[in-house]
Amino acid sequence: MAEVELRVNGTSSRVQLDPRVSLLDALRERLRLTGTKKGCDQGACGACTVLVDGERILACLALAVQYGGREITTVEGLGRPGRLHPLQEAFIRFDGFQCGFCTSGQICSAVGMLAEHRAGVPSVVTPRLAATATPLSEAEIRERMSGNLCRCGAYDGIVDAIQHVAGVDDRAATAEPAADR
Amino acid sequence: MTRAPERSRPAPPTPSPAQAVGRPLDRVDGPAKTAGLARYTADHHVPDLAHAALVHATVARGRITGLDTADAEAVGGVLAVLTHHNAPRMTPPAPVSALDLSTLAPGTTVDYLNTDRVHWNGQPVAVVVADSPDTARQAARLVRVTYEVEPAVTDFAAAQDDAVPLRGTLLVLGEERTGDAERALATAPVVVDHRYTTPAQSHHAMEPHATVAVWNGDRLTVHEGSQDVDWARRHLARRFGVPLAGVRVLSPHVGGGFGGKAPVWAGTVLTVLAARATGRAVRMVLSREDVIRTVGGRTPTVQRVALGAQRDGTLTALLHTGVSQVGRVGGTPEPVGSQSRHLYAAPHIWIRHSTTTLDVLPTAHMRAPGEAVGTFALESAVDELAVALGMDPVELRMRNEPDRDPLDGKRFSRRDLRAAYARGAERFGWAERTPSPRSMRDGHWLVGRGVATAFHLPVRLPADVTVRLRADGTVLVRCAFHEIGVGAATAQTQVAADALGVPVEAVTVEHGDTELPVGPQAGGSGQTASVATALLEACEELKRSVLALARRSPSSPLRGRRLSELRAGRGGLYRADAPDRGETYGVILTRAGRAEIEVRTAAGTRLGRTLQQARAAAGWFRDRRRWVRAVTGAHFCEVRVDEHTGEVRVSRWLGVFDVGRVVNPKTATSQLRGGIVMGIGAALSEETLVDPRTGRTVNPGLAEYHVPVQADLPRIEVDYLDEPDPTTPLGLLGVGEVGITGVAAAVANAVHHATGVRVRDLPVTLDRLL
Amino acid sequence: MEFLQPATWEEALEARAASRDAVPIAGGTDVMVGINFGRLRPALLLDLTRVPELQQWGTDDGAVRLGAGVPYARVITELGDRLPGLAMAARTIGSPQIRNRGTVGGNLATASPAGDAHPALLAAGAEVEVASVRGTRRIPVADFYRGVKRSALADDELVAAVRIPPRTGPQQYSKIGTRNAMVIAVAAFGLALHPDRRAVGTGIGSAAPTPRRAPAAEEFLAGELDGLWESRAELPPATAARFGELVAGAAAPIDDVRGTARYRVHALSVMARRTLTWAWADYRKGDPACA
Repeated sequence: MAEVELRVNGTSSRVQLDPRVSLLDALRERLRLTGTKKGCDQGACGACTVLVDGERILACLALAVQYGGREITTVEGLGRPGRLHPLQEAFIRFDGFQCGFCTSGQICSAVGMLAEHRAGVPSVVTPRLAATATPLSEAEIRERMSGNLCRCGAYDGIVDAIQHVAGVDDRAATAEPAADR
Repeated sequence: MTRAPERSRPAPPTPSPAQAVGRPLDRVDGPAKTAGLARYTADHHVPDLAHAALVHATVARGRITGLDTADAEAVGGVLAVLTHHNAPRMTPPAPVSALDLSTLAPGTTVDYLNTDRVHWNGQPVAVVVADSPDTARQAARLVRVTYEVEPAVTDFAAAQDDAVPLRGTLLVLGEERTGDAERALATAPVVVDHRYTTPAQSHHAMEPHATVAVWNGDRLTVHEGSQDVDWARRHLARRFGVPLAGVRVLSPHVGGGFGGKAPVWAGTVLTVLAARATGRAVRMVLSREDVIRTVGGRTPTVQRVALGAQRDGTLTALLHTGVSQVGRVGGTPEPVGSQSRHLYAAPHIWIRHSTTTLDVLPTAHMRAPGEAVGTFALESAVDELAVALGMDPVELRMRNEPDRDPLDGKRFSRRDLRAAYARGAERFGWAERTPSPRSMRDGHWLVGRGVATAFHLPVRLPADVTVRLRADGTVLVRCAFHEIGVGAATAQTQVAADALGVPVEAVTVEHGDTELPVGPQAGGSGQTASVATALLEACEELKRSVLALARRSPSSPLRGRRLSELRAGRGGLYRADAPDRGETYGVILTRAGRAEIEVRTAAGTRLGRTLQQARAAAGWFRDRRRWVRAVTGAHFCEVRVDEHTGEVRVSRWLGVFDVGRVVNPKTATSQLRGGIVMGIGAALSEETLVDPRTGRTVNPGLAEYHVPVQADLPRIEVDYLDEPDPTTPLGLLGVGEVGITGVAAAVANAVHHATGVRVRDLPVTLDRLL
Repeated sequence: MEFLQPATWEEALEARAASRDAVPIAGGTDVMVGINFGRLRPALLLDLTRVPELQQWGTDDGAVRLGAGVPYARVITELGDRLPGLAMAARTIGSPQIRNRGTVGGNLATASPAGDAHPALLAAGAEVEVASVRGTRRIPVADFYRGVKRSALADDELVAAVRIPPRTGPQQYSKIGTRNAMVIAVAAFGLALHPDRRAVGTGIGSAAPTPRRAPAAEEFLAGELDGLWESRAELPPATAARFGELVAGAAAPIDDVRGTARYRVHALSVMARRTLTWAWADYRKGDPACA
């Protein structure tokens, strides 16, 4: 057994666990933060996306013991009914979900994605010579959110919600197919 | 259940609020779902919880000859290893009966862990129960099983010759014909006659199946992501020999279903069994591999469509036959010719469905069973005919649009496919398409545009609801329907608000719990309309009861009035001829000394349920004799195909649908888009790969079964005719499944237009285009 | 079950030497799948994410020395100018979440023929720096891959870094998958032009038991470019086509669930031709920074 101090949503807990336990299982089973979902347990769906020090990662591909002392944020830490995060509100307004199972991961991923974009991180559809400020076009959002599957197909609503929060409306860029390189 | 219980004070009569039905309201469960607070099955922690994991057979057919569980039992924390040697006996599943639809509940007929027989590669042969999921899973890998292997039929392609035509029953479409299609085909001036295939596909709802089972004596509580809690409850009561009244199934939130969570599968039964055997509450969350090994998916199909036409495009013959697969231990036939019975005005039609039986996991219904894959073949063939005739594919379809059902002349309850195509063609800019293949390009991208028709027959099912009106003006609707993502609670909130004339904020809906009145299955695109029908009936009854209270009061302005003279609105009842004369529900109830008043539709008792089912069945048959009640649509699609690599990008989409009245355009649009997304997946990448030698699925996960991701999709435009169906209450039909139908054909037709390559075998993969 | 979280590189190497069965873990993208599915039950997990040396990159002896624990996301944002081929490959790996954690070191240690970093590393002429308590050695990346998911890494060694010559000319990367993102390559190709030494580098992914170069294609193209380096003249289409054929000829693919061997060979010829066309256009324009 190993002991780890998990700092989640501003609260610190000391947890005894088998070192093989994933961060996802630790959050769900030990801390009872069940908003973060297990959809595949192999990094193929994104339902377990959480933020670590503001960066989006997959909790199923992380050992809990690797994340002692780091600042972890789950969907429960972003906002609560009555005090929702702007992205949570936008997901409702633009219907960025149906069954809701992938939603926690989508929203955490979107928070991380907006931070990446603000920091100038390019994507595969960003022009090669792009200066740091690439507009967050629909194509950019779709590429940058491709790590989060939604089998209900609420993809357009997710794009709309993110665009709304990002304060852009760059529909013109969407007629282009994804970059061919 | 779907909203916080706090209620504001009843508002005084104010100007009538806008009608709720037809408005794009936000989902009532939005705050809970976006904040991660909606509880799905695997999120339930109950006291004293143990965890279970499955061991799967590794042969397709045979008998278990040896089970070595010692290593598994030796793992610290393991509570039990259940096999057919030590598992408690259960009552086998009931034979299927049309008189009791819940006999359709089990996904297979196998009496899990009560038999040494193996019927498919992946059948559960042992269950490990342990104090943690990780321990259970680890120990499950240590169970060693030996088999006496028997010959098995596991190759669908090779089993075509053994296919047997289906005979029509109450539950299954059989052979249907009018005229002599083969002869008409032989003499038609223009003929296309091709074979189309579609692969096995899997639902892959984002939420893997999970069950939590808690026994308390003979009382059983089950948390289960289910599309049919009533089926689950009845099936479990039978299997475990306990009174139905003691079995409760809870399913308030379901993480997607698409048909995969309608039947009761092995995981559910075995979780309950494990809890029975160990005396512990047990939770089993299936891994995605477990899901694919134990939950049936969509059958592969082989289809033939032959069309004969005059040179002007008038169809003379339509022949559509198909073979789907079932398991030897269950499975549902896929009526691939369903839409072909109703779509085109051919005088000679022949439809036949056959099934071939394999030693594999039984198939299950997946979104639009029949039409989802049947439209691929039919609508591809119609496109091929258009090419052969040198005719525009929209024009060809309009030329053959029937006024009455082509098979037997019944009326369509409503049908305006012409309007859907006209609006779609206008919005999409169809006229700009140049007809020849490979005639449109953008650099090295070959551009193609295709169309296809969407078609689905929504079902109607009985539903039972209660509606409670409180003196504070709030309303509680209770019905055990299912929220699998369609916005069901939101839609019923809107229906109830309008029926009673209260604001949507005053309505709360409880669902997904067998303690509630029995609801319909979330299937067949029928849930919303079925519940709404019962709900409207209950609201009428409720208003009558309220009026009965008011009529007795000398001081009521409603005294002596009949309900037909009144309008519900502003939180009460008002005279139609004098809209300021009336009073709120609160005033009426308070004066009568009633805190609340509740009505329930008829099926509260067993007799009531039987009567209701009989009435519903009679109504269904009467309707089926009178008219074809279908939803239709027109898909317009643009693809870009890399000339050199064959990569396909769907670059534009528009679907125009004729689905009757739309309760909530926001959620309905999402559902239709979702169907289109799933159809694009089926068109381009989705395929459950089964090793034909062993019957084992080789891609049981999301890393190698490719559902569409954001980057695969364009914006999907959805439009409606939004005209009520004249034969249903509120004019509702159903939107859940029609979206996926026709999609794969629209893509394949566009790919043909782009490249000149006709792909008749899904999915349209890279190598098929070179 | 033990868990070790060494704070220094020496501790890490000692732990590795002491327990040959230890499973090193960094970004977790491969190891965790094995653990979650119960296929991997390591007696010892060796967490390398707290070893500072692995999280850094710098220049050393003219090469970029990329610590094995630097995630792809940092390769993309910090090294796009120096290592454009690798940065372009990194943009296509898994999902953004995976790129925030997955590492080139992990890609090398797993040595999958479909690993996305490999074609770029091969084309750039990278060297893998591996270390143990016995010492440190450098292995040319082309010699590092020894078979399907097998590498030259000894069982007491860890990948310390990969040393990559910074670009002296245009670099390109191309990948084809069965969907647009989150996909394992059906085939991938990396190209690097090295005008400084009048040479060409190539790397093929997902089309042979190991990632591999296309030496005949490299030699052919280097010969054809003789003289063109200076003139920056247009490249004859036949040259690009022949280059594509030679690259395709170097592949030894199989049919699998993602694609047929025939398709892979064809796709490689297309990708090789295209990447060369793009790269040469960049070179003629004076080769601005790429990624």
